[in-house]
Amino acid sequence: MPSAIEAIEALATGFATTFKHLFRRPITEPYPEYKRPLPERSRARIVLTRDPDGQERCVACYLCSAVCPVSCISMQSVEREDGRRYAAWFRINFARCIYCGLCEEACPTAAIQLTPDFEHCERDILKMVAEKDDLLVDHCGKDTAYNFYKYAGVSTDVGDKGTHVKEDKPVNVKSNMP
Amino acid sequence: MPNLIIDDLPIEVEPGTKVIEAAERLGIIIPRFCFHPALGSVGACRVCAVKFLQGPFEGVQMSCMIDALDGMVISTTDAQAVDFRRHVIEWLMLNHPHDCPVCDEGGHCLLQDMTVAGGHCIRRYKGSKRTHHDQYLGPLLQHEMNRCIQCYRCSRYYQGFAGYKDLGVMRSAAQVYFGRQDDGVLQNPFSGNLADICPTGVYTDKPSRFKGRRWDFERTPSICINCSLGCNVTVSARHREVVRQEARFNDKINGHFICDRGRYGFAYVNAADRPRRAMVGGRPADIDDVLLEARSRLARTMAEFGPQSVAAVGPLRGSLETQAALAQLSEAAGWHSPAFYVDPKAAEIAAMATARLEDKFTVSLRGIEGADVILAVGSDPVNEAPMLALAMRQAVRRGGHAAVIDSRSPTLPFEHEYLPVAVFELDVAVGRLVNFLCEDVDTQQLPAHAAAFVDECRKLPDGRFDVYLQAIARRLLAARQPVVVCGSDIVEPATVALCADVVLLLHHMGIDGKLFYTLKSANAFGAARLGSPAANVASVLRSVERGTVKALVVVEKDLHSEFPDHERLKQALAQLDLLVVIHYLDISLASRADYFLPATTIYETGGLYLNQEGRLQTAPAAVAGGRPIQQTGGGAHPPRQYNRGIPGDTPQEAWRLLLQLCGEQPAREPLLHRLEDTFATPGALTGASPVPPEGMRVGHAVNGVAPFHHDWQAALARHEQLSRDGQMLLVTVAQTFGTEPLSCRSPWLEALTPPATVRMALETATQLQLAAGDQVVLDIKPQPLTLPVVIEIGMAANVLALPRVAPHRMARRHFLLTRNRIKKVDAP
Repeated sequence: MPSAIEAIEALATGFATTFKHLFRRPITEPYPEYKRPLPERSRARIVLTRDPDGQERCVACYLCSAVCPVSCISMQSVEREDGRRYAAWFRINFARCIYCGLCEEACPTAAIQLTPDFEHCERDILKMVAEKDDLLVDHCGKDTAYNFYKYAGVSTDVGDKGTHVKEDKPVNVKSNMP
Repeated sequence: MPNLIIDDLPIEVEPGTKVIEAAERLGIIIPRFCFHPALGSVGACRVCAVKFLQGPFEGVQMSCMIDALDGMVISTTDAQAVDFRRHVIEWLMLNHPHDCPVCDEGGHCLLQDMTVAGGHCIRRYKGSKRTHHDQYLGPLLQHEMNRCIQCYRCSRYYQGFAGYKDLGVMRSAAQVYFGRQDDGVLQNPFSGNLADICPTGVYTDKPSRFKGRRWDFERTPSICINCSLGCNVTVSARHREVVRQEARFNDKINGHFICDRGRYGFAYVNAADRPRRAMVGGRPADIDDVLLEARSRLARTMAEFGPQSVAAVGPLRGSLETQAALAQLSEAAGWHSPAFYVDPKAAEIAAMATARLEDKFTVSLRGIEGADVILAVGSDPVNEAPMLALAMRQAVRRGGHAAVIDSRSPTLPFEHEYLPVAVFELDVAVGRLVNFLCEDVDTQQLPAHAAAFVDECRKLPDGRFDVYLQAIARRLLAARQPVVVCGSDIVEPATVALCADVVLLLHHMGIDGKLFYTLKSANAFGAARLGSPAANVASVLRSVERGTVKALVVVEKDLHSEFPDHERLKQALAQLDLLVVIHYLDISLASRADYFLPATTIYETGGLYLNQEGRLQTAPAAVAGGRPIQQTGGGAHPPRQYNRGIPGDTPQEAWRLLLQLCGEQPAREPLLHRLEDTFATPGALTGASPVPPEGMRVGHAVNGVAPFHHDWQAALARHEQLSRDGQMLLVTVAQTFGTEPLSCRSPWLEALTPPATVRMALETATQLQLAAGDQVVLDIKPQPLTLPVVIEIGMAANVLALPRVAPHRMARRHFLLTRNRIKKVDAP
């Protein structure tokens, strides 16, 4: 007998809760009619950003492809005439990507970044394979200041030896002065 | 034998072993930057600090500087030592640039590993960094001095181990700089090793610059086939492309290093013009159809003209399997015995060298480092077999003495005694040496044929070099381990035999002499044992011209680059009914062949190789084959079509194609059995135990070449040929870069190839009324050559040296020229 009472009580509580919610504002949003602005840090479609001077940030160091747990990133690095290292091609297979964000974490130049743009699905899986042209954007993304070549110490169009941030003038090896 | 305890583990080591090496034997790798087993200790980097708890030393000390001694108790994990090492790493990193992402060393950088392992993750130093300008060091190495941690490995290797002087150390303290006096191409043909030994990215490999990271490379142990020594390499491949080669340690051959020819001579495998399809009359066709058609044509020729109407030309640097397949098929079908050599003399020399190299004479390349007296006859190590020069240098560094008898005045990176003896005078010079060797020997005590030989030598006339030869003989007699090195490139077969006689004589006199031949190319040893010395390309062409040979099968041989008389070659080939060519390179013969079959390289299918010492080594496949992605994508991203197959994977092993061409099962096993029979190594290839990593010596063939058998009349006649009628001897000589046909296809090495010149001693030039820089016409067959004159101090008189570099790489080794056939071109 007490168990029957308990059961009725439980049912009533449940229905009461549901009934109460009938008169509240819904917390769900009618997607896709309403698109909620996502936090900047949310992790979806990956882009390759540019430095504040408008140059490609990616130096094709292979760290993102090494850290990628599903091996969806591949690239080929080459050297530009002015000494910059960049990606001749850069491919991300979004059909395989799990949006874990490890690539962004590994990137030493803040080039590869995840964006809140999560809406991409295709019927043809090949369309999910993004090439460099698809990935490259013309802004700095979340980091608006960093320019790797100002700190790296290698000679490029950004500066020669000794002209980067916190560098002494190059040593004159043919001098005897201390 | 010192007994010590490292990290609670006891070990017994030989006296003189450093603590760091003793620990390594226990599997404890103490951090190190400056210490290298080949370069020794200097204690420059301070990162190998360990704590000595008990014994003759106490406290934190450098483990690379202290010999392991009895009673030592050492801890590598002691807090004090760990803290010391952590501080050293941080201090080494003070000036290190922030450029790992754009540094090619990243991923296999010792400094990177040690920094992370030492726990130094965040830079605390806020000051400014010391910087350096970089230098242009040539097409092989990229310089980035900012990364230097002053371990001195490069200068110690370059000047100490290798013996070249154009790279060294400048300045002091924090401003130490490693480089050249001025920008310029490194003079050292072993400079590529700098990229291997530099613990960080100061010297990085230029041809593979930015091609990928170590972790992305498929790395495979392999063998270098750019000379006869068979040095060991590690092949790095990525995206179906061989990207880089590094030295791989082999205790019996190359040690830790390799030469630049071997390191950078791989570009041919990636070449865009490599034939990837079978062809009929120059038009692409399906490989199975081509095989079938060629097979029936071959059978028809054999049925019509008999099996002797078919001849095969085989490769010197092909795998043993290919050579064995050729030998087996020729034998089974009754063809001519396969011709591996172009030049009949070269075939004879290789046969002589392999026959005379008895087991008790053999010495490995590394064994030479332990020699106390080295006599090199007709050998130019740096140009013919580069790593031999480094091995000889190590012997000299350890107090050994080297003497070179040659006509070319070889440039060697060590102190040596040099006798300028013309090629044709070598025999008599060695004969005189035998005379001095046996000055105090009672010939009665020698075996009869040796005694007769010595008596003959005693009858030889006095020569110009007697004083020096006498001194060399004395050194040889006093030596503990003398080694006679004999080249095979420009010498006569008789000289090769004489060198073996000298060593055998030393053995009769109770001296454990060793003999080291260098041969023409990788697997020349195999070709000499599997082929007949009578069969050569010249004789095959004669048979073609006579009409007795109707069908020719050419396997992995570029007749055009090796056979100098192109007109004759063209006419002979036109006479053929059937020409089948199997090759992995784009050779001009390919389009002219009735049937062309694409073969694979050592990188794609590996194979068995024998070096000049008869050391058998096996190389596994390093890449799967197919056209590199770089090419299929045209440099941009890989194509976006997805297929199951690999584009351009038609090529097969030459032996497989050969067997199919003759209608046999393409099975490797029977070939291995044949190789086991030929080299008297039962079970070595087909048995359960694989070929050991350092290779194994194959059995010495007992054959009919009699020792101490020498035609002194002929030798003296040759000797006099030069002095009589004022004849000049034109010798075609090998160059480190530019002669070996595979490495010639590397664009980086092309830049290092010297220009074609004719070199001579000053007195020869004076006799010919020539001066340095003059243009001279040499009237030789098949066509005259016009070349600039270079005066080479120390060359033998009456000898002209003609480097075998493009545009002419002739197979013929020497020409006798009367003076009127050497004409100066007058300036217009």
